Amino acid sequence: MNRNLCCGLVITLLLISSAYAVKVGEPAPDFQATDSNGQVHKLSNERGEFVVLEWHNNGCPYTQKHYESGNMQRLQKEWTGKGVVWFTVISSAQGQQGYVTAQQENDYLKQMKASPTAALLDPQGDVGRLYSAKTTPHMFVINPAGVLIYDGAIDDKPTTEQSDIAGAKNYVSQALEEAAAGSQVSTPTSRPYGCSVKYAH
Amino acid sequence: MLNHSFIPITWLGFFFAFAVWPMQPMLASSKNPADEHVKLELVSEQNAVVPGKELWLGIRFDLQDGWHTYWTNPGDSGEAPRIEWRMPAGFEAGAIQWPHPERLATPPFADYGYEHQVLLIVPVRPPAELKDGQTQKIAALVRYLICKDVCIPGQKQLELSLPAQTHALASQARELFDAARSRLPRPAPRKWKISADSIRDEFLLNLKIGKLDKAPQFFPLDAEQIENAASQETTAIPGGIRLHLKKSKHLLKPIARLKGVVVLGPGRAYVVDVPVSQAPGRATRN
Repeated sequence: MNRNLCCGLVITLLLISSAYAVKVGEPAPDFQATDSNGQVHKLSNERGEFVVLEWHNNGCPYTQKHYESGNMQRLQKEWTGKGVVWFTVISSAQGQQGYVTAQQENDYLKQMKASPTAALLDPQGDVGRLYSAKTTPHMFVINPAGVLIYDGAIDDKPTTEQSDIAGAKNYVSQALEEAAAGSQVSTPTSRPYGCSVKYAH
Repeated sequence: MLNHSFIPITWLGFFFAFAVWPMQPMLASSKNPADEHVKLELVSEQNAVVPGKELWLGIRFDLQDGWHTYWTNPGDSGEAPRIEWRMPAGFEAGAIQWPHPERLATPPFADYGYEHQVLLIVPVRPPAELKDGQTQKIAALVRYLICKDVCIPGQKQLELSLPAQTHALASQARELFDAARSRLPRPAPRKWKISADSIRDEFLLNLKIGKLDKAPQFFPLDAEQIENAASQETTAIPGGIRLHLKKSKHLLKPIARLKGVVVLGPGRAYVVDVPVSQAPGRATRN
C-alpha cells in the first residue's frame, strides 16, 4: 500500500509537469486518491465504465445550489444506477473553505443523501491541479476507453439560484447520454462556473 | 460597445413585477450576508426625468477592502452582476456599459472584475410625454456575486424617485458618472491598426498603435477563448507591440473574431473586435 501511494504520487507529479495534460478527446490523465472511507481509487482501474468527476466545496453557494435542491444527488443516483462511476473530488486545502476530514465528509454525504461512488479527499490539490479544476462545481466525463469527453460546467445556467435548475440544459447528462448512444458529444466543453477551487497557496 | 439594446417594459410586465416582488424571499427587507461587505445604491446622473430625453442611471458598488465583484466576462470563476429594471410604462432601459475591469489574479486562476468602487451605468429612455412634476418611481433588482477568499451571492432591491420636469440639473452623483465613463472602452482611433493571428496554441494580437509606456493588457469579451491566468507576453513589432495570448484548452474550434478590451493605462481602454486570420503555411492547433 505504501509502495502504491509512493508510485501514484510520482505518476501524478510527472503528469502535472506536462502542459495541457487534460484536453477533451485525449486520454484522461491517471490519478490515485483516497476516499472518505480510506479506500484508494485509481482512475485507470475504472476502464470499461464511464467516469464522472465532480469538484466539490460544501461552503460554495454554487455547490449549495445543486445540493440543497437535490439536483446533484439526483444525477449521482441516476448515473451510478446505470453503472457510471461518480467521483466527488474535494481539493480544498486545510484551513480553506470546503476542507473536510473523512468523518465530516461521511456525515455530509449522509445528511445530504448524496451517493457518489466515492468522495475523494485531495487536500494537497494534486488531482485538482492535474485536471486544472477551476471551479466548484467543475465537471469532467471520461468514456470507457479512458478518453476525456466533457470538461466544463454542470449546466448552462451559471447562477446560484435553484430556480434556474429546472430550465437548464445539463451538460453532464447530455454527454453521458450522447456518448452511451454512440454519438459525438455535442457540447464537449463549456466555461465551468462557480467559486474558484480553494487550493493550497 | 455603445449599441444600446432597449428592452421595452410593458404594462403587463410592470403590474406582474410589482405583484410578485414582495413574495420573493431575501429582498430588501431581509438581511443578506453580502450586505456586510458591499453597499449598493441606485443613482441618477440628473435630478429629474425629462420626457423623451436620455437619462443615465447607475448601480454603485462600494466594496469592503479585499472583496470584488465581476465584469461581463468574469474570467475563471465568479459571475457578472445582473439588473432587472422595474420602471413606469414607456421607459426603456439599455444594456450595462461595463467599465474596463481589473485582472484579479489568484494563481492558478485569474478573474476579471472590480475592487473598491464601481458604477455600472445604464442609459434609459423615458417616454416622450410625462405629466410635469409627476414623480417617476424606478426600481432595480440587482443580483450579484462578491468574493474574497470565499464567495457570497447577493440580491438587492434598489429604488429611486425622480420628478418629471422639462429641464434637469446634474445630480450629486454626476462625478461618479464621469469617472465611470472614463473607464469605458472607446473605439480604437482610426490610424491604429489592430489585427489577430491564430498560431498553434496562441492568438497573436498585433497592436500597431505607436509607442507605449507599459505593456497593454487584453481582456476577452467571450469566456473560454484564452487562458485567463496565462501571462500575456509581449514582443515588439514595427509600429507597435504584439500580445501573445494563450488559447483556452476549452477552445476546440477556430474562432472567427477576437473581441475584448485592451487597456493601455488608467482611462485608456479600447474596443478590440478583429477577425482572426489563420497564419498561412504554419501548423495550427485548435
